[in-house]
Amino acid sequence: MSEPTATQDLIQGTPEPSAAAVPNSSGKPRSLWYDTWDILKRRKIFWISFVMLIVFLVMAAFPTLFTHKDPEWATLARSMEGPSEDAWFGFDLQGRDVFARTIYGARTSIIVGVLATLGTVVLGGIAGVIAAYQGKWLDSLLSRVGEMFLGVPYVLGAVIILGSVAPVQSNPGKTMIMTVVIIVLAVLGWPVLMRIARSSIIQAKHQDYVQAARALGAGPFRIIFKHLLPNSLAPILVYSTITIGSYIGAEATLSLLGIGLRTPVISWGIAIADHTRYIRTGAHAMFFPAAFLSLCVLTFVMLGEAVRDALDPKLR
Amino acid sequence: MGRYAIRRLLQLIPVLLGTTFLINYMVWQLPGDPFAARCGQRACPDSYISAMRAQFGLDQPMLVQYWHFLKNLLSGDLGVNFNQVSVASQLADAWPITIRLGLMAVAIEAIIGIAAGVLSGLKRGGFIDNVITISTLFMLSLPIFVTGFILQWLLGVQLQWINPTVSDAATVGELLIPAFVLASLNLAFTARLTRTSIVENRRSDYVRTAISKGMTNRRVVGVHLLRNSLIPALTFLGTEIGSLMSGAIVTEGIFNIHGIGGLLFTAINNHDFTIVVPVASLLVLVYLLANLLVDLLYGVLDPRIRYE
Repeated sequence: MSEPTATQDLIQGTPEPSAAAVPNSSGKPRSLWYDTWDILKRRKIFWISFVMLIVFLVMAAFPTLFTHKDPEWATLARSMEGPSEDAWFGFDLQGRDVFARTIYGARTSIIVGVLATLGTVVLGGIAGVIAAYQGKWLDSLLSRVGEMFLGVPYVLGAVIILGSVAPVQSNPGKTMIMTVVIIVLAVLGWPVLMRIARSSIIQAKHQDYVQAARALGAGPFRIIFKHLLPNSLAPILVYSTITIGSYIGAEATLSLLGIGLRTPVISWGIAIADHTRYIRTGAHAMFFPAAFLSLCVLTFVMLGEAVRDALDPKLR
Repeated sequence: MGRYAIRRLLQLIPVLLGTTFLINYMVWQLPGDPFAARCGQRACPDSYISAMRAQFGLDQPMLVQYWHFLKNLLSGDLGVNFNQVSVASQLADAWPITIRLGLMAVAIEAIIGIAAGVLSGLKRGGFIDNVITISTLFMLSLPIFVTGFILQWLLGVQLQWINPTVSDAATVGELLIPAFVLASLNLAFTARLTRTSIVENRRSDYVRTAISKGMTNRRVVGVHLLRNSLIPALTFLGTEIGSLMSGAIVTEGIFNIHGIGGLLFTAINNHDFTIVVPVASLLVLVYLLANLLVDLLYGVLDPRIRYE
C-alpha cells in the first residue's frame, strides 16, 4: 500500500527500488526476521494495526479501565433507549448498558480467537510434520483425512458438532461452552495449517543442510525442530495472525446462529443475535457490537497482511 | 485428460465415503437424544421413543446404520424426516433457491472481483489501486452477517429501496442484495489474488516478449497476461464453493430465504438429523466436484500443465 509509486515500465521491467535497500554497513549477514522488522517499522499500516491490537488487548485484560458500569446490571425501564450522554451506546433489550457490554465482549472474542488458533496450529502443525517427515502411506492418509474435513463447510460442520454436543435448548456453563466452541473451531480448521507446514517441510527435507545434519547423526527431533520447522515459521505466523481474526468472526457467526456461545457469556456475537429481530427499533444495540467486532477482525487481518508483505521477497 | 478425469473421479469415492461416515457418526453417535425434546414440556413416552428408534434404525450398530444410509442414498431414497414428511420433496423445494443464490454470488465474485483485481494490478500504486486495496481490506474484516445486517438496515429499513426479507418466490431481483452479501468476502479475496498475480506476471519474460513483438497493449493484457493471471483466482473461486455454502446458511437466515440453509437450520433446531445428513453429504459432493472442475480447467488456461 505504501510502496513507491514508480509506474512500472513494461518493456524494461526494472525491479522496483527495494524498500529494504538500506546500506548494510556492518557487513554481517542479516536474518529474515531482521529484514522483515526493518520493512515493518516503516509501514504506517503496521503501526495502525499494532496500536489497535494493544487497545483491544488492554480492553480484554482490564475492561474496568474503559467503563465503571456493570455489564450485567439491567434496568428494564430503559430498555432499547438510544445513545445518550450517560450511556454512549444506549441500552439493550434488557436495559443493560451497551457500551459496558461491548467493552466486556472483547475478552471473550480474543480468548476464543487466540486459543482456537493455538489449537489449530498445534493440531495442524503436528499432522503436517508427521505427514511430511514420515511420508509414504501416512502422508496420503493424513492428506485424505484433511480433505474430508475441508470438504465439510465450516458452519455446517460446527452446526453438526455443536448441535449434538451443546444443543440449542441446552444451557451449558460459561467455561464449558467456550471450550467446546474453541475445540470445534480448531478441529475444523487444522487441515489448512497442515498443508502449510507440510509443503514447507517437504521443500526443505531434501536440502543439503538437512542431509548434512542427518549425516552428522542428528535425530529426527533435532532435525525437525532445528532444521525443518523454522522454514514453516513465517507462513504459519502470517496465517495464524489472520486466522485469529477470522475465528473471532466465526465465533460471532456461530453465536448469531444460536449454537455457539450462550447468554451468561458476554460476547459481541450474542449481543447482535439478541437484537436481530429489533432491527427497526434497536439498531444501536446491534450496531456498536458489530462495529467493534469488525474493527477487531480488521486489526488481526491488517497485522497479518503487513507481516506477510514484509516477509514476501517477491513484493520487495 | 479423459483418463486423468476418471482417475480423479475414482479418487473422490474414498473421500466421499469418509466424509459421509464422519457426518453420520457425528450426527447420530454423539451424546444427546434426538427424540428427547419432541413432546413439548412432558417427557416422551417410551413406546414413542422405541418406535422412532426402530424406524430410523438407531437400535442397530453404527456400521449397519451407515450401510443402510449408503444403500438408500444410491437407490435415491432419502426417507422421511421425524415428522414423516418426505425429505426428497423438502430438498426439491429448497435446492433451486440456494443454487440460484449461489450461482449469482459466484458470478458477482468473478465479475467484480476479477475486474477490480485487474484494474488495481495494472495501475499498481495508483489512486484506484489504493482505493481497491483498502476497500477490499475492509470487506475482508466484515463478517458476512454484519454486511448483511448493514445492507438490510440501510437499504431495507432506512432507504426502503428493497424489501428487508425475500418472498417465497425468491426472484433474481430480490436475491441480488443477498447474493452480493454472500459474495462480499470472497469477492475481496478474488480481487486481491488477481491483483497479486497480475503484478507478478507483468514482470515476466513472456509479457516482455509479447510487447517487444509489437503487440498492442490490449492484446498483451487481454490474452497473454489475463489468461495466466486468472489461475489463482479460479482456484480460489472453485475451492471456496464450500465456504459459500457456509455463508448461505447465514445469509438465508438474515434475509429469510427458504433455501437449503433455512431448511438445515430449522432441522438443527428441531434436532431432526434426517435432513442434516443428506444435505451435508450433497454439499460435500458439490465441493469435491467443484474442486475437480477447477483442476481440469487448469489445462485449458495454462497449456504447460499436462495431465499424464
